[in-house]
Order: sequence, then structure tokens, then C-alpha cells
Amino acid sequence: MRWNKESGFWLRLDHLQVAGLAGLMLAGLAFVYSATTVASAPGLWTQYQESAWSEFVSWFGRQFFFRQAVWYGIGLALATAVCLVDYRILARWAPIFYWGAIVTLLLVLLPGIGSVRFGARRWIDLGLFQFQPSEFAKLALILALAQFLSRPEEELRRPWVLSQALGWVLLPFVLIMKEPDLGSALVVLPVGLAMMYAAGVNRRKLAGWVLGVALAGTLLLADMLLAPPHPFQLQLHDYQRQRLLVYFGINDPPPPGASAAEVARLRQRQLDVSHNVRQALISVGSGGLTGKGWRQGTQNNLGYLPRAVAHNDFIFSVIAEESGFVGGVMIITLYAVVLFTGIRTAGEARDRLGQSLAVGVVALLFSQVFINIGMNIRILPVTGVPLPLLSYGGSSVISSLVAMGLLQNIHIHRKTY
Amino acid sequence: MIILDPLRQTNPQIRLLAGVVFAGLAVLVAGLWWLQVVKRKEFQASLETQSYRTTRIPATRGSILDRQGNLLAETQPRYALTLYLDEIRPRFAAVYDQLTPRVLASLDAQRQQYEAQVQRELTSAERRRFRIRGQLKAELERAARFLATSNLVAEVAAALRTPITLDPGEFHEHYETRRALPLPILSNLSPAQLARFAESSRAWPGLEVEVQPVRVYPQGETAAHVVGHLIRDDRSATGEDAFFWYRLPDYRGIVGVEYGYDAELRGRAGAKSVLVNNFGYRHEDAVWMPAEPGQDVVLTLDLEVQRAAERALRLVGHPALGAVVVMDVLSGDLLALASAPSFDPNLYVDGISPAENAWLKDENLRPQINRATQDNYAPGSIFKTVIGLACLEGGLDPKQTVYNPGYVMVGRRRVGDTAPPGAYDFKRALKLSCNTYFISNGLGAGIDRILALGERLHLGQNTGLKTRQETAGIFPDARRLARGWSPGDTANLCIGQGAMAVTPLQMAVMTAAIANGGNVLWPRLVKAIIRKDDSTGSTVTGMPEGQVRDQLNVRPENLQLLREAMLADVEDPDGTGRAAELESVRICGKTGTAQITDVNNRVVGHTTWFISYAPYERPRVAVVVMVEGGRSGGGTCAPLAREIYKVLFPEVPKEVARNR
Repeated sequence: MRWNKESGFWLRLDHLQVAGLAGLMLAGLAFVYSATTVASAPGLWTQYQESAWSEFVSWFGRQFFFRQAVWYGIGLALATAVCLVDYRILARWAPIFYWGAIVTLLLVLLPGIGSVRFGARRWIDLGLFQFQPSEFAKLALILALAQFLSRPEEELRRPWVLSQALGWVLLPFVLIMKEPDLGSALVVLPVGLAMMYAAGVNRRKLAGWVLGVALAGTLLLADMLLAPPHPFQLQLHDYQRQRLLVYFGINDPPPPGASAAEVARLRQRQLDVSHNVRQALISVGSGGLTGKGWRQGTQNNLGYLPRAVAHNDFIFSVIAEESGFVGGVMIITLYAVVLFTGIRTAGEARDRLGQSLAVGVVALLFSQVFINIGMNIRILPVTGVPLPLLSYGGSSVISSLVAMGLLQNIHIHRKTY
Repeated sequence: MIILDPLRQTNPQIRLLAGVVFAGLAVLVAGLWWLQVVKRKEFQASLETQSYRTTRIPATRGSILDRQGNLLAETQPRYALTLYLDEIRPRFAAVYDQLTPRVLASLDAQRQQYEAQVQRELTSAERRRFRIRGQLKAELERAARFLATSNLVAEVAAALRTPITLDPGEFHEHYETRRALPLPILSNLSPAQLARFAESSRAWPGLEVEVQPVRVYPQGETAAHVVGHLIRDDRSATGEDAFFWYRLPDYRGIVGVEYGYDAELRGRAGAKSVLVNNFGYRHEDAVWMPAEPGQDVVLTLDLEVQRAAERALRLVGHPALGAVVVMDVLSGDLLALASAPSFDPNLYVDGISPAENAWLKDENLRPQINRATQDNYAPGSIFKTVIGLACLEGGLDPKQTVYNPGYVMVGRRRVGDTAPPGAYDFKRALKLSCNTYFISNGLGAGIDRILALGERLHLGQNTGLKTRQETAGIFPDARRLARGWSPGDTANLCIGQGAMAVTPLQMAVMTAAIANGGNVLWPRLVKAIIRKDDSTGSTVTGMPEGQVRDQLNVRPENLQLLREAMLADVEDPDGTGRAAELESVRICGKTGTAQITDVNNRVVGHTTWFISYAPYERPRVAVVVMVEGGRSGGGTCAPLAREIYKVLFPEVPKEVARNR
């Protein structure tokens, strides 16, 4: 433990990154508060002044922003713990984390264990809170893949290694797809790709695989959107198909011979799905340059932006509506700080294991930010990807902070020559 | 610079990664710029359309007053109980929770029955069919809403001790289409009900007492025709915003002054916007354009004279069909414009019962017709005043007599004469209404002279009242003569029958012209229009009085001869208008009894007239009385005129300056 002798733990951290994370977490608290307490309802201060102490405590305990603060606390504690153990020691445990994650991903698919919300089986109910295995599977994948890629350079160039590495990536991908959690599954691909590319696997072969996957993806998409229904069409969950149709602006034609009631029902369903997207867009757009003020967003307060998603997947719409373009750019800047300090860490890593881990974490964070903000401003279709550190949610917050701990770990043990 | 440092990394892979991240964040910023800065207006507009509902608020309608300031029509507040649905949503939820256990139990029973039938546990997909969802849930919620609301209404009804019914159809329709607006519960609250509601210590959620303007005609049947009435019309007037989500009830004048001065009375509707949430419930009210109240219209009518006129008409008996016009002979002001039978215009506000409707539509009574201006009548002998003038202008010597054998031959047709046989000069002929005299002299004067006078009196033309109640009457002109005209036709015209028809108002204008020295006036119904303004006070715009339309162009001495003859008609013991004579004022008059004949020329009824003016010395007012189906002008109408003069000239003093 060399660093302990030279200087304190705190001094060796990447301070710029810590500042960026602190900024994001403060914004997260502020806007989860704004998104979950209606402006006309009594706020924190009024509650504090007007209700009895016990009432206030019980009210406070039920609030989303308080719980979010608790998640931040747990996440920070775990991140500190992760920092304290050298990442090279952690990496030795990678196979155990990985296979453990695979087992939980399998478990969540079992009807007795995984609980269903919004038609997807993504959560394991642990009584106190609901645990989302896919969030942790992503971390385990990064750790395991980094460890796998840390072999000598000449070995990495072998095609078999590439195929094996792809196997590491595709196994959790398929399982997460099965839940189904299209967003989380799609995040896994760029993470794996970035790590393999940065580690220096056979680039020609990698490019071939990427092309192949892209082609297959395009074909699948075309099939889902355009092919006549059964039996030619790949069966996708209804809501996923609807989201894609809405994104591409395609009207879902009712099946031939459908009754008037059936046509009306389909029409309504499509409206419901597009409602979310349209309201998010109106929220963002009507925010203008400087926004309507904290807790003053009408879209949010009047419930046009659906309450169920305003504080998690669509928190960015609330931020953009209430703080405008200025606030949105500030949030993106904070992410930029965290991402580029992460990339710097990757460049300064002591070994390829450290570099791959850092690249993996940066790729994970970036793809989540890009997909989430992208769907808020309608440059991407809606998928259930949270905005790291801002969206409400224990699993997401904790896994993001643990990932950040990992990044700090690599920074602490960087090359110092 | 932290953002640029990684781009200068030595490791090319890391450099590419940094490039991708940089590009990705740049795309996000660009997208954000596009939405929030470039397309801002568009989204702000769609935000407004989805969250604002504009409501048209009609302006308070102006009052209609008589010349003394008595109210003929006004807008009064009426209290209504309304319910804002957004505030009773907790009750909807509570009732829903009460309803669900029963439904769940029955669904459960159905499921068990089904399980017993298929002899196995159901799959989760099959079980879904026995849950409250979709259509069933929507129906339950709908039922809960109605039940919760009707429970609340029942509580209110008990407290007010008034039965209130809540119609399910209306309730659901209101909920579906006007959720952000209050639901009307009870309209037209009595003071007692209002007090009970205020007393009621229970604070009901969402209930409010709203003030709704309602049109009231405090004088009831008096001047009903000329004041007119309204119909419901919520449409935007020209110059207003055309689009509103909701419109509060508004009314438009359909007839009478309410119609003619609708633009002034109505004011300018305002707009209120209600901010609604995603369920369509009200969130906040904001008035963004207050309504501009309507202006007051002051009529030239004198309520006292109007009442006297209507009272006089009722003396005829029941049902009286007739009209009275009282006109200031100098200014043209209409002091009374009465038509019988009359009706209560408040009926149109409160709703008309079938019986009332049948009466209003009665073919014989035709209560909705303003008989003073809206129907054609043969003038009969009152037209002899004009014929007399035409003869005198044509050079007739008033002393020259004509022998009346009791009838007069026109060609081969024999026209009877009610005047006793004997010799008649001008004065005697007029006061006894001698047909022989006027026919023979009229034929002598020639049709052209008669038509010229009629034209200057503008017979056959509207008098220009903006009440939508006017008929032009009929009077021959050159084109009518060209289609064939015989001396018989002229003879008919000489006794006010045949090819002509007039309205009582036209006869008032004619009488006034005789009285005032030959000025044919535009009658004036509206004296002034008053614009009320809280900041600047009221501004009164007066309407011009004594507007001269034409001149009779007759020699003053001839007019004087006519006046003396008319005075004799009332004052001489043998005058036909004797019954009008009054001590307090000297009245000049002329009676008329026109025969109404059917297609076979059989007499089926009479239109009786009395035209008059007073005082003889310095004429001020003209009074025209017309009664359908009377016995005779002198017998039926002259006494009615006398009653009206009693009010106009109450005291013996020779002159009373009224209405000046």
C-alpha cells in the first residue's frame, strides 16, 4: 500500500472527476425533488415548518429525493470500498462476479423470483428494495472482459481470442434481451466493442463482426417494422415495436379484416405510446434558453410528462424544461468532465487491465448518457436506459457510483513516472 | 483543458474513443440547441394548446330605459350553484374503492366456477380475464364518478330542502367535454336557498355560487313589442376571437329594440383561460380579456303614456286587437307605441310552456305582431284629411256645397254614405265624414294630386324604425297607374279603401305633419345611447330629434281649414269624434271606419281609427288609435284617445309642457 505512505487517500483521487460527480449528484437531488413534488403541494420547507416532527420524518422518509440521497450514500460507501482494494486484486475475482451475475440474470427470468413491472421481468424483490441484476451484470462484464483482455499482445491478435471475448459479451446480452430490457442489452455492445478495440484485438476481424452485427440489426429492424405480421415477422414485445414505430414515424396499419373497435384500440395504443415522446419533446422545447425555473415546469407540474417516468427515465426533460438550454448544457458539461477525466485515466493506466477497465467504464457511462438524453430529445427511440446518477433508482445509482470507484481506483494506481 | 487533453493522447485507440465521446456530446448539445432555441416557439405553442382552454365570457347586456329613466329591460344577477369536478376527485376515488370489493368478489366467484368447469388451476394469462381492467375498469370509474357526484348533490339537496336531480347523461357529457368547467347543479337560487347554502356549516368541496346574468323585463307586458326579446346565441361576433373551447350562454336580440340596437346593447365578449392538467381538470383560472359591458339605450317612450295607451286598448274588451301611437309632433319622438294583445317577454328568458306557445302562435290573435308598425290596414275615412288637402290645393272652394242623396254613384257602382242626406260644405263633410263630398271632389281634384301628397307623406315606405317590425304599407305610384287605373279606383282611394294600406305609425306621421305645419318627420324611437365606463364616467350620445323627411308643400290657409274641420269633428255636437272631447285640452281629430271585404266583396269586419292631435292652439302631440273589429271610429276609438289625452293633459290649464 504505497500510496498510503506517500500521501492520503483523498489527495490521490482525481479531484476534477470527483467535482463533476458531486455536481451531478446535487443536480440529481434537486431535480428528483422537483419532479416528484408538485409545485402546488407543500414543499420541504413548508412541511418542516407546519407538521409535527414525527409527521415530518415519516413524510421525509417517503420522499424520492431522500431515498435518492440514501442511494447516493450507499453508492459512495461502496465506491470507497472499491477504491481501497487494488483493482488488480479485484480483477482476480472477476470470473466469480461474472458467473454470479449470469446466475442472477437467469434467476430473474424465473417467474417465482423475478418480479414483473411494465411487462418486463427485470427486478429481484429483496423486500427492502428491488434489485436490478442487469445493472450489476454490466459491471461484472467490464471486470471479466478487462481481465480476459489483459493477456499478452500476441495472444490478443488470435481470432479465437476475439471469438471468446465476443462470447463473454454476448452471453449477458442475450440474457438481458430475454428479460426484456432492450436498452440495457444494447448498452452492453458498445462497452464490449470499445474495450476490445482499445485493448488491440484483431481489428480487421473486429470490424467484420461489427459490420455483421450492424447488418443483422438493420435487417431485424426492417423486419420488425415493415414485414407483414406473422409468420414472417420476428416477434418483438408489443411495446418495443410500438416505440420503434413511433420513433420512425410509421403508422401501424391495423391487420386486414380488423373490426372498427380493434382499429380504434390500436389507434389509441399508438397514441398512448407516442404521448410520452411528444410530451418529453414539448417539455424540452418549451424550456427555451433559460427555462421556466426550478419546480416551475408546467409540463411536469400538470402531469403532461407522465409522473411515472418524470423522475427516472425522463429526468432530463424535467431539467431541460425547468433550467432550459443553459441548464441542459451544464449537465452535459458535467458529464463531459467525468468522461474525459475517465479517458485520461485510461491513458495513464499502469497496465492494460487498468486501461480496459477505464475504457469499459467510460463506454458504459457514455452510452447510457447518449441513449438517455438522445431519447429525451428524440434523436433515438425510447428504451429504458436511465441517466446515470441523475435518474432516480437504487440499482442504477449504486452501480454507476461503484463504476466511478473503479475508475478512481485505476487513477490512484496510475503510472506515476 | 480537460476536454482537449485526451484528444492529444499518444495511444491512437484512446484518441479515437475520446473523439467519439466528444462527437457524441456535441450531437447532444446541437440537438438541445435545435429544440430549445431554434424550435422553441413551436413547442411553446403546442404547450399552450394542450394546457389552456379558453372560455368566451359574454358581456353584461346594457339596459333599455324610457325617457324618464324607468327600466324596460335590464340584466340582473341570478345565482346558480355549480360544482368544480377537480375538487371532488378524492370522492371519486373513495367511491371507486367502495365499489371494487363487490365486483372483485363476483369476478372471483366467476373464476372459481370456471376453474371447477375446466378442472384445473388457471394460467396467469387466463386469470387476467378475471381482474378489473380495461373496459370494466373504465366503466367502474364512470359509475363511481356519477355516484360520488350524485351523493354530493343529494347532501346539498337535503341541506337546501330542494329536490335536485342530476341527469346521468348530462353529467357524463359534461365530464367528457367540459371537465375544466363547473358543472351546473341548481340554477336560479331563491334567497332562502342561498341563505341555507351559506348557513350550512359543512364545507362541501368544489361547490360554488356563481352569478349568472339574466335578462329581466321589469315592466312585463308593457312595451313588450317595441322592446323586443332575445334568443340564445353563443357565436362570436365579428371582430372577436373566433376560436373558443367553451362558450358561456350568450343572447342576441331577435326583434324590437333588442334587435335594432343589439350591437350597442351587447357589448364585447371577453375571454377567460383555464389552465388544465393532463386529466383535463381545471388547474388555474386566468382572465386575459375582460368583457366590455354593453351600452344603455334610452328610448323616447314615456312609460306613463305607454301604460295609458295600453290601458286604453284594454277598454275595448277582451281580446282587444289594436294599436296606439303617441308622437311628439315637433320632435318626432314616439311617446307610446302600443300593440294589443301583448305578451310577457320574460317568457322567452324562462322558457315557454306549450300552452303559452300555442297562444303566442295563435292565428287570429297574433300577439307577437307589433300592430303599430307591422301590419297593413285600410285607413278608411281618416284618409279624407289628405283627400281634403288635395282638393283644397286643387282650388276647391270650402264653402261650395255638394248635395248628398245618401249614396254616391261611381260609374255604375253605388257607394253608400253614412252621413245624413243634405248639402255639405268642406267642414261639415269632414266632421260627418261624407263619402259623397270627398268622392266627387276627389275625382275633381284628380288622382295625380292625391298621389303627390301621398308620396310626400312617404306612404308605402318604411318609417325607418330599427325594430325589424315594420311593413311599408301600400300606396299606388305611377307604375301602378300604368297597369290600369279607373275613376272607381280613385273613388275608393278618396274614402281610404282599395289600393292602399297603412300602418298606425304612418298615420301618426301624417297627423303630425298636419299639426306641425307640414313637416313630415322621421319618427324617433331612441333618444340616446349611454356608454358606461368606470374610469371616465358615462358618455351620452344623443340621437338627433325633429329630423324632417319631407314637406307637405300645401298652403297654410288650406292646412288651417283642415285643422278647423278636425277640431269641429271633436267639438261640434254632431262631430263623429265627439267622444274624444276633453275639458283640459282642445283636440282635433278624424274618425275612420274601413270595411274589410272578402273575395266576394262582402263586408266581413271593420278596421276602426281615430287620428288626432292636441292642443289645437299650439299642437304638441298626435295620438293615433286603431282597433281591429271595432264598431266605428267614433264609437270605439275616440273614447280610447280621450283616455290617453287625460294622461297627457291632466289639468285644465290650457298648456302643459310635458316631455320637454
